[in-house]
Amino acid sequence: MALEDLRATVTRCSRCSYCKWIPFAHVKSWRFAKGCPSIEYNKFQSYSASGRLCASLSLLEERSSYFDEGLVDIVFKCMLDGCCDVACKINRYDFEPVEVMRQMRFKMIDNGCYPPQDMPLIDHLKKEDNMMMAAKADRANWAEGLGVKDLTEEKAEVVFHVGCRFSFDEELWRVPRTVVDLLNKAGVDFGILGKDENCCGGRVCDMGYRGEFIKYAENNIDAWKNAGVKTVVTGCSDCYHAFKRLYPEEMEFNFEVVHITEYIERLINEGKLKFTKEVPMTITYHDPCHLGRRGEAHVPWKGEQKKVRGHVLVWEPRRPRYNGAQGVYETPRNVLKSIPGVKLVEMERNREYAWCCGAGAGVRERYPDFSEWTAGERIEEAKASGAEAIVSACPHCERNFMDAVAEKNESLKVFDILDLVREAI
Amino acid sequence: MALSSEVYEALENIVGPDNITEEPATLDSYAYQWMAELVTNVTDGGKFFDRAEAVLMPGSAEDVQAIVKACNQHKLRFHVFSTGWGPWAASPAEGQILLDLRRMDKIIEIDEQNMFAVVEPYVVAAQLQAEAMKVGLNNHISGAGAGTSVLANACCFQGGGPDVIYFASPQDSILSIEWVTPEGDILQTGSLGSGLGWFCAEGPGPSTQGIIRGSLGGAGGWGVVTKIAIRLVHWPGPATLPIEGTVPSYQAALPEDQFKAAFPAFSDWQDFSDAIYRIYDSEIGYIAHRQFVMWGDELQAAFLNIVTDPTRQLCDLEELLEKPEIQKLTEEMQRNFQLIMVGMTPRDLEYQKKVLDQILKETGGWNISFVEKPDVQRYVLLFMLRLCFKNLNFTATGGFIDTYNSVATPDVWASGEIQAGKKLLKKYAGRIADAGDQAMGPIGGQGGGGVTGWEDFVFYDPFDPDSSKAAAEVSDEGDKLKAVQGRPPGGMLLGLARATHADQEARAQKLSKSPEYNWQRKIKETLDPNGVGSGNYFWGADTSKK
Repeated sequence: MALEDLRATVTRCSRCSYCKWIPFAHVKSWRFAKGCPSIEYNKFQSYSASGRLCASLSLLEERSSYFDEGLVDIVFKCMLDGCCDVACKINRYDFEPVEVMRQMRFKMIDNGCYPPQDMPLIDHLKKEDNMMMAAKADRANWAEGLGVKDLTEEKAEVVFHVGCRFSFDEELWRVPRTVVDLLNKAGVDFGILGKDENCCGGRVCDMGYRGEFIKYAENNIDAWKNAGVKTVVTGCSDCYHAFKRLYPEEMEFNFEVVHITEYIERLINEGKLKFTKEVPMTITYHDPCHLGRRGEAHVPWKGEQKKVRGHVLVWEPRRPRYNGAQGVYETPRNVLKSIPGVKLVEMERNREYAWCCGAGAGVRERYPDFSEWTAGERIEEAKASGAEAIVSACPHCERNFMDAVAEKNESLKVFDILDLVREAI
Repeated sequence: MALSSEVYEALENIVGPDNITEEPATLDSYAYQWMAELVTNVTDGGKFFDRAEAVLMPGSAEDVQAIVKACNQHKLRFHVFSTGWGPWAASPAEGQILLDLRRMDKIIEIDEQNMFAVVEPYVVAAQLQAEAMKVGLNNHISGAGAGTSVLANACCFQGGGPDVIYFASPQDSILSIEWVTPEGDILQTGSLGSGLGWFCAEGPGPSTQGIIRGSLGGAGGWGVVTKIAIRLVHWPGPATLPIEGTVPSYQAALPEDQFKAAFPAFSDWQDFSDAIYRIYDSEIGYIAHRQFVMWGDELQAAFLNIVTDPTRQLCDLEELLEKPEIQKLTEEMQRNFQLIMVGMTPRDLEYQKKVLDQILKETGGWNISFVEKPDVQRYVLLFMLRLCFKNLNFTATGGFIDTYNSVATPDVWASGEIQAGKKLLKKYAGRIADAGDQAMGPIGGQGGGGVTGWEDFVFYDPFDPDSSKAAAEVSDEGDKLKAVQGRPPGGMLLGLARATHADQEARAQKLSKSPEYNWQRKIKETLDPNGVGSGNYFWGADTSKK
């Protein structure tokens, strides 16, 4: 798929603006009706999914140029969070707005057009296999003293892929350490790749650097094969999305992928994990985009579009539909609800139409002000729900919220689900 | 023609550097519009109308006023829009600037006791409805759906919709207005003009409602309405719509003793027409619309099965059409409409249901049992009460227009016009979607009923030049049919837009059947002496430079 192949899609956009809002059925207030951080922050039409589709056609028809001043900002100042995709597809059964935006990025990068602030990030990634500006040699520091099996030397069927944010963000180390504790208690034979773990490549792919992504995907798959891995467990939603959706799109992929919340729910259901302590707290759950609407598993499909009854557009054979319906929404909520004392309240925008945390697709690094504003909006929504804490299942969301809360001097607490699980055991 | 640095600087000083742009791809994101391929195929403009010279985003009435004054000073034309869906939102000619009002997005007030709301241009219907429902009130939603501007639908363009029978036409629901005139004065109309608040359109204070709104409103070329007060109606339901179900087949689980969706259906058009008269007389119904025939009378049953089941896709269409139960339902639904009954009390709903039963008994009609399925009932209630699925108009082919349309008393349904419309569409079947009768429209086109009507939908593929051409031809042919009947061109002004891009003579010929448009043009010429309000299809003199 290339941008040129999506010409029909971008020509059929009705410019209805559904992509700017949460699904209208779910609008509960004036304040939290909007769904797209990009256009809310940047205002002009070109910063919406529809506007980017229109801009794509403008590029394809050579009405504007990849090198026009301002285009880089339009294309990349967006988290690719996919709320637009969900809202659009409520009515448009044949549409793929996020795919157009991804291909637009690939094309821009191919043309050498990218935000200048990418340079140090990509250079560092190439050198140290992470964009956290940390040394590769420090990747396994979080696991010091835990005695986790090293899969570069031993074998196991389960690999715990920690991910860059959990590996290098010391304030979040408590989370992967809890994962190790839980897996040990459950008697799971697992290991980590330690300092040789690679970036999943998901984020750099969303940023537009497809070549880098392919490289990391191949490296990871090779490493897992060598270690005899069958199941990949991760606590990071970015990694989950990469493994569940992006890898199988690009290459042969025969691994089970499990988010840690799914693993915990499994342990609870099997009676292997029991909560014994109360955690008296009113919390709200933030759905990470990459675990929710963008976390739908890839389903292989090969076919074509045809027309019936004159011009009614259908896919033949039936094409998998990625509209947010199959994201992981209930599992984390089930885990939270099973913790004694926890009272779960919902934010107005939740599940497939949740507001993004602001960190995705490199926006945190490229456009920190926009990223922080987006997180701040979510903090306001969490406060309006009456919660004392916002809980998520992704280190990127948590880091962005922690920073926004600190910046705004808010009292709202920020947790990973694993924090509450640990408290309750 | 780019703006001179002097003009750009003057405008930038008003809105600030972050709220003005000349960036080409951004300007094209505004030039791209639904239907452009039909309007501009006379000039090969494709999906793009003329590119504006710049886009500005004013943040207040004072910003708008300053921009309009600057336009008068520099003889620069401006075109304005709010949510911006449709060809009337694009710059109608070269050399103009666009005002995007999305920064003016506040609900200023909801007056619960006096049942009205004051809103800015970028408040959409779903937002106002969500807030109004919290205090037991509800607002009209235009047939274009929940994502369109409350203000623009009331003041600046057509804006009728399925709920008009109970809610009244939006133009009849406008109370006071704050309007930046084409010369840059801020005029407050009705009671607001006397400093008495927003409650009344007709004073004390100046009543310019007819001038500002007219037949169709200014459609972006007629000063800038910056705030309105709009009348609200009673809402006896919960403070928040109770949404259930899996995307995209959301449903509203409303109390069954106060909410009921019915699909009255009839074996001939005379009975259909008679039933509508009886509904008017008995004053039942919160919403009354012939909605789902938008997919065509031959496809509506299959499409309803698809959209109410989240596991279904369009590729199921042909299989569904082969099923005997769908064929039976298709036959049953041929002459049906949707009636949403909302009881202010359970007893009220019981009464309405009994009245409907009696009407159906007297007219030989029936209620289609498919709508009694709980999932369908809840889906239809949500669809009609929030109009949150209105972009399903585009689902089948990616493009739709309306063409041969009608607004008249209910007798019109039995006049043979439905068959004429269907015949017109069938003539082009294959080049457009082959769906049958697509006459979608309000059962009650004004408050309390009395007027009904429809738009004949045409589904075409914007990516297919021949399909687009066919849609344009249907539109032209529909206008000709209407001209023979002495009726003005309709169809979302598509015919006029096409004629405007073709030549002035064609446009004048179309307008010769439209005294109301000509009258609006005269008013505009009087109140906009510098002609800075943009040209428009029904009054402007602009022709594309291409």
